[in-house]
Amino acid sequence: MQQGLIQQSRIPSRWRRRLLRASLLGLVAGTLLGCAGADVAPEPTLLPVPLVERLPVTMGIHLPIAISEFVHEEELPNNGRWRIELGSAQQLMFENLASGLFIAHAAVADPAAPGPEVDGILVPNIEQLQFAIPSQTRTDFFEVWIKYQFRLLRPDGSMIAEWPLQAYGRANRRNYGFMEDTQNGALQAAAQLALRDAMAFFSFKFPRLPAVTTWLQEVAQQPKG
Amino acid sequence: MHSHRLLTLTLIALTSALGGCVTATVQQVREAATGMSEGDSVVVLGRAGKARGAETEEDFVTCVGRNMGAGSDPIPVISEQEFKDALFPWFEPRIAPVAARELPELLAQPLMSERLQDIGLRYLIWVDGSTQRTDETGSMSCTVTPGAAGCFGFLSWEHDSSYEASVWDIHTGRPVGKVSSDATGTSYMPAVVVPLPFVARVRTQACNTLAGQLKTFIIEG
Repeated sequence: MQQGLIQQSRIPSRWRRRLLRASLLGLVAGTLLGCAGADVAPEPTLLPVPLVERLPVTMGIHLPIAISEFVHEEELPNNGRWRIELGSAQQLMFENLASGLFIAHAAVADPAAPGPEVDGILVPNIEQLQFAIPSQTRTDFFEVWIKYQFRLLRPDGSMIAEWPLQAYGRANRRNYGFMEDTQNGALQAAAQLALRDAMAFFSFKFPRLPAVTTWLQEVAQQPKG
Repeated sequence: MHSHRLLTLTLIALTSALGGCVTATVQQVREAATGMSEGDSVVVLGRAGKARGAETEEDFVTCVGRNMGAGSDPIPVISEQEFKDALFPWFEPRIAPVAARELPELLAQPLMSERLQDIGLRYLIWVDGSTQRTDETGSMSCTVTPGAAGCFGFLSWEHDSSYEASVWDIHTGRPVGKVSSDATGTSYMPAVVVPLPFVARVRTQACNTLAGQLKTFIIEG
């Protein structure tokens, strides 16, 4: 049956062979590209200002270089090289977070000399980033975990609170069409959702931390000059 | 050779007749009157599951929203992303309500209701459900040699879509009704040298019927 159908073809045999070779090459290239990893950076404009009650404090925000230049690179056996760049999104992320959460905020270059106008200084850091791809977990999901570590300091540099925050984002590869770049698209979406999750969880957790609650009461009782 | 062509054409005709067949049903339950005024809009949200696979498919939710905003009597639809950004972080996966019954308390918060008024949202449509592959039969084998390549066999699989949309009136903070859409269909892939997939578009059909009925439900209520 196969032979019969091939005999019907009007394509010369040398062209058929070239066509077949090109198809096989395309298949191999496609397979290799499918394993080539990804290079993503979440879009900072997709990190909105949280809609929550603003806390009556002026917060200083200090972003250490380690967070503002954070890049995670990893080589996965048989799955290529993967790169997730979070640093460029951090400034707008914390700017928006502070805009939604505090009545006023200011960037602080040096936490040892924050200036007289701030009530406290928030110092975030990324301790760890992990990710998983569908071939590792045998699911349809690209997943990203980010472990943040936060410190809240008084203007004199003394510690008010220190706490970790685990953020998680995942994206279903089935949301990407056959012709779309699934690896870059889904990993980017997962990283984006992890940053949004960090902002969401911070918005809820921060005012409820016992040490923060006490500090908020202290600030409220201070005479305002 | 002629008989081979005839066989192939017969197979194509047969699978075309059977493959595209989808059975869809739609039902609605009304609890209160509905209607749209100038400047009103709706949003279609999918269930945000905390567990893997528990959420409604993103493209299904997008499809329902797109279809409601198109065709005859289109309804202004705010995209899910636009809505989530406007109400960030209340509908993020870790915080979002997992059931429609949690909505009234959330939407009643002063900050939320103020923002919902700003964006002109009248109805929130909460879609819960999914499409599952329920059955799979047949087999197919493919061979590639230096001179030729081909497949032989027959595969068939069945999809079952089941979705329920709860419609909430933002002005009253109460549910106004439910619309459900169920669809089943069988897809086929015969292969005589070249595999020919005849895919039953079950989820698309479920989306079309659900979106159409939701439009009718809201406008004609």
